[in-house]
Amino acid sequence: MAEPTTAGPAPQPEPLARSPIPTLTPTAIVAGWEVTDRSSDASTRLADLSPLAKVHVRASEDGALAAALDVRFLKAARDDYGVLITGSGPGEWTLIGPAGTAGDIAGRLSALDVDERITIVDLTHGRALVRLTGDAGSTLLATVCAVDLDEHTMPDGTCLRTSVARVVTDLVRDDRDGVRSYLLHCERSSGAYLAEQLRQVGEAHGLGVEGFAAAGR
Amino acid sequence: MITLSCPWCGPRNVTEFAYGGESGARPDPATATPQPWRRYLYTNANPAGPVTETWLHRAGCRRYLVVERDTTTNEILAIRRPGGAPSTSARHATTGRATEQRP
Repeated sequence: MAEPTTAGPAPQPEPLARSPIPTLTPTAIVAGWEVTDRSSDASTRLADLSPLAKVHVRASEDGALAAALDVRFLKAARDDYGVLITGSGPGEWTLIGPAGTAGDIAGRLSALDVDERITIVDLTHGRALVRLTGDAGSTLLATVCAVDLDEHTMPDGTCLRTSVARVVTDLVRDDRDGVRSYLLHCERSSGAYLAEQLRQVGEAHGLGVEGFAAAGR
Repeated sequence: MITLSCPWCGPRNVTEFAYGGESGARPDPATATPQPWRRYLYTNANPAGPVTETWLHRAGCRRYLVVERDTTTNEILAIRRPGGAPSTSARHATTGRATEQRP
């Protein structure tokens, strides 16, 4: 008869999160997420950035939290921590930060001394996020989005929620090193469809797919 | 493309909006009998001409807005946030909802 062992249960492996957008080989692990690990030389590139922290905040449009965030509806700006604050709706903000920092972002918001009712929800695993970078980005988007994305109507540092390929999508203009770039995020269940639509319409523009690290957030 | 100008977001494709029906005063829950509730919920005046309607910007700011529209020409007469002052043309349409001719 075997001797009873005193050891506890075998340690469970860390759970691995996956984006709703299928990853391409080779892959890497970033902050507990499986991500595509490749670069692209294309002038217009699409990257899946779903692992980025996404924190949704609701509060009064003209309250103390709105003053603390200091980003109005339809605008986007980075705070001192490098977190992109987007005014995604009236009295509604989405904060996008580095992967694995959703708890820190929510903690900083909770610590603000504001005398009003606010809601903070971590939507990191509930939304898909892609970055479309390149000068042809607006031309590409014009085939699936009815909003005028011209420089004077949607310059760098602006955001809006609209229909992209018939999917309700938050669209943020967030240029990278002077190159036109858009962040698009939508419900997780529509993420694969949205990315595939962008890839299909991007074929005519030589769209390349790059990985999480190559996109540089 | 037919556009509606959202009071919060600006001009957008009408496909971003959901039609919410004719606007009308909500009955007082404390005193209303089932009959005015039924009229409020299920009947419309459907006038040929200016009418005040509620729309939802479901693919945008997710806010309700008030649209004054001529049903014969589909011309948008005015768009405002709920609670904003109605225009002169809209006052006629607002009174048309759920008229007493309905059974």
